[in-house]
Amino acid sequence: MFKNAQVAYLVRESFAGFHRRKLTTGVTILIMGSALLVLAMLTLVTLNMGNMLEKARAGIDMRVFLHEGLDSRQMAELQPRLVIIPGVQNVAWISPETALAQFKEGLGEDAGILDMLDSNPLPASYHLTLTPGARNLKAVEAIREEIAVWGEVSEILFNQGWIDALESWTFRFQMASLVVSLIVFLAAVFVISNTVKLTMAASARVIQIQKLVGATNTFIRIPYLAEGMIQGMLAGILAMGLLGLAGWFLDGRLGGVIFFSVQQIFGFILFCIVLGLTGSFAAMRKYLTMQSEI
Amino acid sequence: MKSDNDRTGQLSEGPLDSRTVIGFYHVDLAYDDQKAVDNVSFTVANGEFLCITGPSGAGKSSILRLIAMDAFPTRGEVMVRGMMSSKMSRRKVPMLRREIGFVFQDFRLLEDRSVEDNISFVQLVVGIPHAQIVKNNMRVLTQVGLYDKRHRLPRQLSGGEQQRVAIARAMVNSPKILLADEPTGNLDPVNAQEIIDLLFRINDAGTSVLFSTHDHGIVKTFGQRVMVINQGRIESDEKRRVPVNRKANLADKMYIAAARKDRLNV
Ligand SMILES: Nc1ncnc2c1ncn2[C@@H]1O[C@H](COP(=O)(O)OP(=O)(O)OP(=O)(O)O)[C@@H](O)[C@H]1O
Ligand SMILES: [Mg+2]
Repeated sequence: MFKNAQVAYLVRESFAGFHRRKLTTGVTILIMGSALLVLAMLTLVTLNMGNMLEKARAGIDMRVFLHEGLDSRQMAELQPRLVIIPGVQNVAWISPETALAQFKEGLGEDAGILDMLDSNPLPASYHLTLTPGARNLKAVEAIREEIAVWGEVSEILFNQGWIDALESWTFRFQMASLVVSLIVFLAAVFVISNTVKLTMAASARVIQIQKLVGATNTFIRIPYLAEGMIQGMLAGILAMGLLGLAGWFLDGRLGGVIFFSVQQIFGFILFCIVLGLTGSFAAMRKYLTMQSEI
Repeated sequence: MKSDNDRTGQLSEGPLDSRTVIGFYHVDLAYDDQKAVDNVSFTVANGEFLCITGPSGAGKSSILRLIAMDAFPTRGEVMVRGMMSSKMSRRKVPMLRREIGFVFQDFRLLEDRSVEDNISFVQLVVGIPHAQIVKNNMRVLTQVGLYDKRHRLPRQLSGGEQQRVAIARAMVNSPKILLADEPTGNLDPVNAQEIIDLLFRINDAGTSVLFSTHDHGIVKTFGQRVMVINQGRIESDEKRRVPVNRKANLADKMYIAAARKDRLNV
């Protein structure tokens, strides 16, 4: 599309803004870097929170208690029926004896009072663990409804309130970080766009002459788009660097915190480049015509 | 190179004459209701020198902008080197601009770059290789007599010299048409005459030149086609019969020979 001489020119011009306005560019990258740092931190918190929630959700389970008086064959027949229910990951049989043992263990020193019983009052039950996709209120309810109608089942227990709270907090946090991210995103685009506008205003005469001698619009725009992209990239690297540094300082004190993976870091920087590109495009809206205002 | 029966001022209604480089056909240009160009029709033949004159605000610059397709007619049709304004797409405008050189009253040089860099710049933009740029710079700067001052910044030159740099810049990509919008407006008579002589020489080498001015004093010395514009209309358009002293001296003849040779090479 372009000849060699033009490519060389474009590459040089892409860095010309940095060279001619070191301070403006430096401040831009600093401001953007800070905004992106907020964005990265928020992402990291969301990531960690998601991780924690995922772990917590793994604890969501269900106890299906059975009526007394079922014989062992009847009880055993339930096992395959439970396993095929969508969302059920694992089914464990808990006999009255096991239940009693667990109960005793829970009582600790006071376990002695149970010796007064001449028979085991605890019913047999099944312990269901759920697939990750089913660890939410809706799925749990659906499973419960399906099982509740079985004649063999006397009661179903699960930690409903806890699931409720977990869900609503996850949602609220996701919304909040989405809003903050959006604001930070717009601010970053605005900052970049302003700097590119400055560069373009300073180059108004250059642009006019380029149009006059027949430079294509694409050709005219490339250096400014490149400038925005490079600024975005540097700001992204700065943000990641600061975050990494902070992580390194706090290392021992924050056990179990997950940091971005290498792919995620590259993804984030790519995102910053796209952000810079967006800012540049916003800056040159008024330069999109061929008008040279002779 | 120039023919005696220029079709000046005539509207070519039939098939386009291949010698017509610029054609205006009932052209209006309105800026918010007010007409800057009002029903203007004329043609310019290849290699012609046309002087456009008229008072300030008459519409001279507007006509030149229409030719560069920096403005488009609100009515009528402008044809430049076979390209019609009504069928012009935004992508094709740069290709048209490469065939047109533009010179302004206020020179419009890049103040932070040397004379030579100003001229290199417009070649880089259209992708001329470095070695060719060096050659071209030497050629055009010699032609305008500023090769020795090529490392200076524009502010280190006189007005006349700056305008010569601007002309060199307009000519370096060998355009077929040169539009000069009051190029002498900021210059004293001596410098102005030098610029006009330079435009004549460029024209002699085959480039069509459109030269606008509101200075009737300059126009009187012309043995050229002069078009008078007033309030957006053509008031008169005639080729002066005045015999003029445009006898080329030896230096001019050498220049013309050199320039013709260069144009063939490019
Ligand atoms: N961009 C514009 N927007 C609105 N009106 C304009 C614009 N450019 C020119 N005009 C108007 O159009 C008319 C013609 O302007 P133009 O610049 O073509 O005149 P001109 O003959 O070149 O004048 P001058 O000798 O002063 O340069 C004027 O009345 C001017 O005010
Ligand atoms: Mg004007």
